[in-house]
Amino acid sequence: MSAIEVQRQLLPILDSPNQGARFYNPELPSSEPFVPGHRTCAGCGPSIQYRMTSKAAGDNTILIGPTGCMYVANSSYLCTPYNVPWAHTQIGSAGSFTAGVAAAYEAMIRKGKWKGAYPNIICEAGDGSASDIGLASISGALYRNHDCLIICYDNEQYANTGIQASSRTPYGGMTTFSPPGPMVPEAKKLYPKDLARMMAAGHPHCYVATASVGYPIDLMNKVRKGLNHKGAAYLMVYTPCQKGFVYETPRSIDLGRLVVECGLYPIWEWDPEKRQYDYSFRPQNMRPVSEYLKLQGRFGHLHTQHIANLQKFANEQWQMMGVELPEALLQAADAKNLVNMAAAEEAVTVAETV
Amino acid sequence: MSTKGTHIPERLKIPFAGITPAPSQEKGQDLFPTGNWRAIRPVYRDKLPPCNNACGTNEKIQGYLDLVKRGKYVDAYALIKEDMPFPSVTGRVCYHPCEQACNRGKYDEAISIRAVERFLGDLGQALTRDVVKAGAPNGKKVAVVGSGPAGHSAAYQLVRLGYKVTILEKSPKAGGLNRGGIPDWVLPQHVLDREIERLVELGITIKTNVEVGKDVTWDDLKRDYDAVVLAVGLTQPNSVRAEGENKDGVLYGLPFLRDIGMGTSKVKLGARVAVIGGGNTAIDCAREALRQGAVEVTMITVEANPQEMPAVPEDLHDMLEEGVELVHGRAMTAVLGNGKVEALQLHPARFSGAINASPINVNREVPAERFHVDHVIIAVGQRAALDWLPDEFKSDRGTIKIDRFGRLGDTNFFAAGDVVQLGLGQPLMVVNAVGDGKRVAFNLDKVMRGESLQPRTIPVDVIFDLNRMNMTYFPHFPRVHQTLLAPASRRKTQEEVIQALSEEQAVEEAGRCFSCGTCNACDNCYLVCPEPCIERPSRSNGLYKILVDYCKGCRVCIEECPTGCLEGVPELDFDTGVVRMDTAFAILPGLHGRQAEELRNLAERPAKSI
Repeated sequence: MSAIEVQRQLLPILDSPNQGARFYNPELPSSEPFVPGHRTCAGCGPSIQYRMTSKAAGDNTILIGPTGCMYVANSSYLCTPYNVPWAHTQIGSAGSFTAGVAAAYEAMIRKGKWKGAYPNIICEAGDGSASDIGLASISGALYRNHDCLIICYDNEQYANTGIQASSRTPYGGMTTFSPPGPMVPEAKKLYPKDLARMMAAGHPHCYVATASVGYPIDLMNKVRKGLNHKGAAYLMVYTPCQKGFVYETPRSIDLGRLVVECGLYPIWEWDPEKRQYDYSFRPQNMRPVSEYLKLQGRFGHLHTQHIANLQKFANEQWQMMGVELPEALLQAADAKNLVNMAAAEEAVTVAETV
Repeated sequence: MSTKGTHIPERLKIPFAGITPAPSQEKGQDLFPTGNWRAIRPVYRDKLPPCNNACGTNEKIQGYLDLVKRGKYVDAYALIKEDMPFPSVTGRVCYHPCEQACNRGKYDEAISIRAVERFLGDLGQALTRDVVKAGAPNGKKVAVVGSGPAGHSAAYQLVRLGYKVTILEKSPKAGGLNRGGIPDWVLPQHVLDREIERLVELGITIKTNVEVGKDVTWDDLKRDYDAVVLAVGLTQPNSVRAEGENKDGVLYGLPFLRDIGMGTSKVKLGARVAVIGGGNTAIDCAREALRQGAVEVTMITVEANPQEMPAVPEDLHDMLEEGVELVHGRAMTAVLGNGKVEALQLHPARFSGAINASPINVNREVPAERFHVDHVIIAVGQRAALDWLPDEFKSDRGTIKIDRFGRLGDTNFFAAGDVVQLGLGQPLMVVNAVGDGKRVAFNLDKVMRGESLQPRTIPVDVIFDLNRMNMTYFPHFPRVHQTLLAPASRRKTQEEVIQALSEEQAVEEAGRCFSCGTCNACDNCYLVCPEPCIERPSRSNGLYKILVDYCKGCRVCIEECPTGCLEGVPELDFDTGVVRMDTAFAILPGLHGRQAEELRNLAERPAKSI
């Protein structure tokens, strides 16, 4: 039996939008797999991610949406805003469903029933599905190396059920499952699960990367790299949630930039060929975490000690990336040099009356 | 579930569970027109960049820089030519008020707009045929008196409007102040000659050696032409009223430069030259004196320090580099010598009030200084020679009296340039004269067509505040500097001191432009919209459109617009219950004006066709 030739869509990598001093986005594909007319909140971060991802992937794409915001809000009354095939699956079965789709196309190509190029198979799992409930099935899909891209759009909580804590909720993040009070003033005591690194360490043959909606071209290029990679790819994307983070809707992209500039969301790539991390991405500025925290209501209750803890966490992330820490950031890790969040005092009094 | 490929009877073609319309790229998923969530509507509204606003003739600077960025040099040249007849000249001589106003100056360094203008001007000079054409002839004859910047500009605009224009110039060569007031090492003669040729190519008749008052009279002008633009400039040098000013060796700034420019100079400068005055003409005189053979040039100013001098700092710096000495806080009270200048008598002095706009207080109590010189050049301003003008049109400032449209009473005479701007408080510069000439030409055209003259009433929104833009998109980037000839080699030659930018340099410099307040098709709004409900058939200012059926009013596009072109307008006025479509009107005409027109008509159109 002769080897079967699988036609692959090799998507070109986009140029950086910064040409010298000039900011000008590269020419983007004209197709729109994701169209308007859906019920996500105004300024929805995952929706921005969906738009960029689908734009990068193009029309020959199959989207898989396990239960989560982007399933519940986008597919109501049996209609969807997708111009490409889309399917829903249970929250726990993101990986197995995606693996099934990929295996089906592999089989159809083997049997000569599918003539065109191998489609882009993208699973868009929320962080609840990707880090808690569906972790096992996604790990399985990655381990078996099905040719697909699994994206975790990380809004750091279970948002469609009304903001509950997930294992990606950051230290200090207030949710309905982690309210601040006299016993636990910082609201959430645990640090977030380092999901992307876990996937890279556990499945070193996969392309793994982190990205943020604050850097659209970087995000789109990583989607394309993941799709071009022959085998499984995993992408974790920071997507702010306006309801859960409690911020003004215009700041969605801005938060995506700030979280990287504050070191709370390191952007890196795992190279499966060389079996090593690529930490070369550098944001334009480095900032103390308080600049990120102060924009969000979910951190409004934090006291200086908690902010210092988060700064220490961020500093560790910078050091992990091999960045030399400026004096200001070391200073900011000391609670003496910080001030409480604006609402912190009120949060205490409210907590004591309850 | 999609209905693709399913037969649905007409009466059932309504969206309900189970049978829903398939989404399309054109219409979106129209079961959920989420536009009614919106309280604030994003609107593309081009604002006026500060450079365009500061420019004396309101060149569309942002516009041509944007075209240069994209390599469309001839389009950029055509855009500049709308307001500026000779970009190759102003690209060399302009005191660039645009660069002082540039928002980038508050961020790192202002954009070298003048250098890019010169790049485009030189490119235009190299074209075999100019991009500008004369208008269809309307049979009216207009005389323009004077061929300096204002006259040149007025004649240029009038010929484009279809007038038959004749320029009357009293010197043997056309060019006025451009030729007589600007030295060769700033503006080479051949550059100006080429620009004058361009005027002739447009069909303008230039009559040289014709002086108003001597060769033609007021009545001749009135009889022979339908309308006249007087752009005679300031020709008479001011004196400092010092004793012995009539001695040999006392020269005046502008005539000194003019004679050299016209090639009629007979002056042979001695080794020691003093220049009286602290303005731009004085600087040009001092630097020209070096090139005319003077060894030691000293500039004597009443201003107490270099910062107070009403001169362009770059020129001052270049002059000091060439070795001119500065003496501050002195006034010349007498010219000493026996028939010829031998020395100057100097007294300490200062302005009694504002610099250059108040009487000078001379302290005669301290003993006078004696300052040895062979020549002295007095450059303390000029005034107009208006003996030929009827008295009713002379103003108290010694200028032509005009109304705010540049018109002399009810006559068909108009005046423009330095001869009307002197003493109004704004600095006299080439670009202001060009702008004046342009505006007067348009007003003249209105009068000729019998329209009434009205002041501009459109409010102008100039974007001065960097907070109205998103600066995270602009990395700091150093300015591209034009190279200069070395001071030691340039001080004796007539070669151009400032060198032109190369093509790569011009593009790099234009790339630094923020495009303040104006859409430059960077596609950022298109990319970051969460819906996505921003549409554009192609990438161009004016073609971006918000699908208002779906826009939820999250304002991410407004926040992320790098240039500040997008802004939010309130959708609903809850006090009156009226949808405030009128707030979405563009305030400036332009491509987005068309879109505003569409918004204006929204209310009359059925909901589904929007």
